[in-house]
Amino acid sequence: MEELRPKGIIKSVEEARAWSLWVINYFTACGFLELLPWVGSGYDMERFGIKAVGSPRHADVLIIAGYVTKKALKRIKRIYEQMPSPKYVMVLGSCPMTGGMYWDSYATIKHIDKYIPVDVWVIGCPPRPENIGHAIVMAMKAIKSGFKGH
Amino acid sequence: MSEEIISFLKSKFADSIIEVTLEDRETSLTVKKEKFCEILSTLKYIGFNHLSDVTCVDYIKEQEIEVVYHLWSHTKKLRGNIKVRISRESPSIKSVVDLWIGAQIHERENHEMFGITFLGNPNLSPLFLEEWEEIPPFRKDFNAREFVRREYYEKE
Repeated sequence: MEELRPKGIIKSVEEARAWSLWVINYFTACGFLELLPWVGSGYDMERFGIKAVGSPRHADVLIIAGYVTKKALKRIKRIYEQMPSPKYVMVLGSCPMTGGMYWDSYATIKHIDKYIPVDVWVIGCPPRPENIGHAIVMAMKAIKSGFKGH
Repeated sequence: MSEEIISFLKSKFADSIIEVTLEDRETSLTVKKEKFCEILSTLKYIGFNHLSDVTCVDYIKEQEIEVVYHLWSHTKKLRGNIKVRISRESPSIKSVVDLWIGAQIHERENHEMFGITFLGNPNLSPLFLEEWEEIPPFRKDFNAREFVRREYYEKE
């Protein structure tokens, strides 16, 4: 955690980008409950410069948590297309990855990465807040070293 | 529904009530399709004024679909299930939107999931499923595994 604190003047655009990840979320289920500690003062995502925004046009990161139905997928695609580049997609939970417990449901899609590009996967059913924090730190490191998303 | 309500109903609709199942505080009445609206409105008039749900059961062996109206009486604290059997080939039944306006969304959902036409319902457009081209998914002859394999695992 020590190395993540900004020291002196921010040197590059990548550094600035990593420290100001604005988030638009698309939550359908339990994944949001595990991300909530990061919104509140317990884990406090704002110390990393992460902020929830209301419009996809202001957002850098799209967080998808929980199962994605066929109907929801269209809305997710539309949100993704409205976001300015560089944009990152973070997926929480096993449902969007493999279908999870809805693996034989007629209504949900099974692999989200076949529809939109995904940068960060956080496993779990649902993932713990610590896992999400680890993923955020790893993503910030990658963005600092010039990663611009898939 | 207590015994006296059932005997009252039997005195009014003797030839329309097919079967009565009495349990502790829950009674099921299987009634004929022709008179079910009158029976429901009579029950609403005598106190069963809350429609909890409208559901369906697909009896594929008998080629019939059973529409179940779950009623609840706030004054008597009793539950009543009115069951109507309709044909599976062209399932259509009269809507109860005139009696309970809240039945609209239940009927719309049953239209989507079971393919039943509720005559008189103002809006039966798709609720959850978009661009659905298969048979309705809650029908017994809908093969969900086969559909999922074809639609998701092979396409993705």
